[in-house]
Amino acid sequence: MSETGLDPVIHAQARLRVVATLAALSPGDRISFPRLQDLLDMTAGNLSTHLRKLEDAEYVTILKTHEGRKPASYVELTPLGRRAFESYTASLTALLRGTAP
Amino acid sequence: MTDDGTSRPSGAPAESPLDAAESLRIIAAQTAKVRSREPDSRLIFAAWGAAWLLGYLALYLTATGRVGQPQVTEGFSLPAGWAFAVFGLAIIAAMVFTVVHSTRANAGIKGVSASFGAMYGWTWCLGFVAMSVMLGGLARAGAGPEVMAVASNACSCLLVGVLYMAGGAFWQDRQQYAIGVWIILVATVAVFTGLPQTYLVMAVLGGGGFFVGMVLEHLRRRRDPSAGAGFAVAGRPVGA
Repeated sequence: MSETGLDPVIHAQARLRVVATLAALSPGDRISFPRLQDLLDMTAGNLSTHLRKLEDAEYVTILKTHEGRKPASYVELTPLGRRAFESYTASLTALLRGTAP
Repeated sequence: MTDDGTSRPSGAPAESPLDAAESLRIIAAQTAKVRSREPDSRLIFAAWGAAWLLGYLALYLTATGRVGQPQVTEGFSLPAGWAFAVFGLAIIAAMVFTVVHSTRANAGIKGVSASFGAMYGWTWCLGFVAMSVMLGGLARAGAGPEVMAVASNACSCLLVGVLYMAGGAFWQDRQQYAIGVWIILVATVAVFTGLPQTYLVMAVLGGGGFFVGMVLEHLRRRRDPSAGAGFAVAGRPVGA
């Protein structure tokens, strides 16, 4: 899809859903893995795979912590990820208008 | 990066390719889903509207002797003791509802919003504790039952109104800000109507204000279901 100029990391259904969900939170907020999974209706394994790819692109950070004795993970969109999502939505809008950059 | 459908030139894709309209639809759907799990201010306004209407009406009706007997102190008719209990329980119920509803809606989300929420919550709590102590000092200094009744209501409403305005300013929530302004206006009028009309003004105009806020918020959500979403600005086609 690179001929459209759309970011290939975001432009895949599952990762687009992940990034759109994280972008709907306020900047500086992070969400627990189970709650993110619930908002996405994805299996834990599937979500982990896509998060790893987003982490590799430095679009998300995953904070591993403990709540009591239970390990917990929190996911946050990085400023780079938020900018990538914003330029992605801007490109989509431009494509729909028929003025692809 | 060949196993995820992003750079595969051919072959069976794990996911069908996206077109721009489908992508925007996905973004809108996820944004709406996140919004739908946020605290619903319509429910919170309804809880406080009901609490004020019920609580202040109980104070008004017993202070005038329309229901039960007023307590006559220093020649002044105060609401019955049980009416103050009804008022207190109504306020506590609305408070518990607000805290439980917001905490549930925000479970699993940490960071800037959670830390603001916690500090804002403590501001309410400490504000009311400090105010109660100050009012106690006013009574000790010799304020009579009428002064105490008027001052307690005025101070509480000022605090509530200012905190609503501050919350509205921070979250850029005009409904919340407007309710704060309205509460302060109503409470100012209520100071000058004299007792027991103060309680009637608070019940009808104060409680009613929350219900109007609830209706306005409902209409706003129907007009713009993704309101507040960053994408709504970034992703809106120009001229659409």
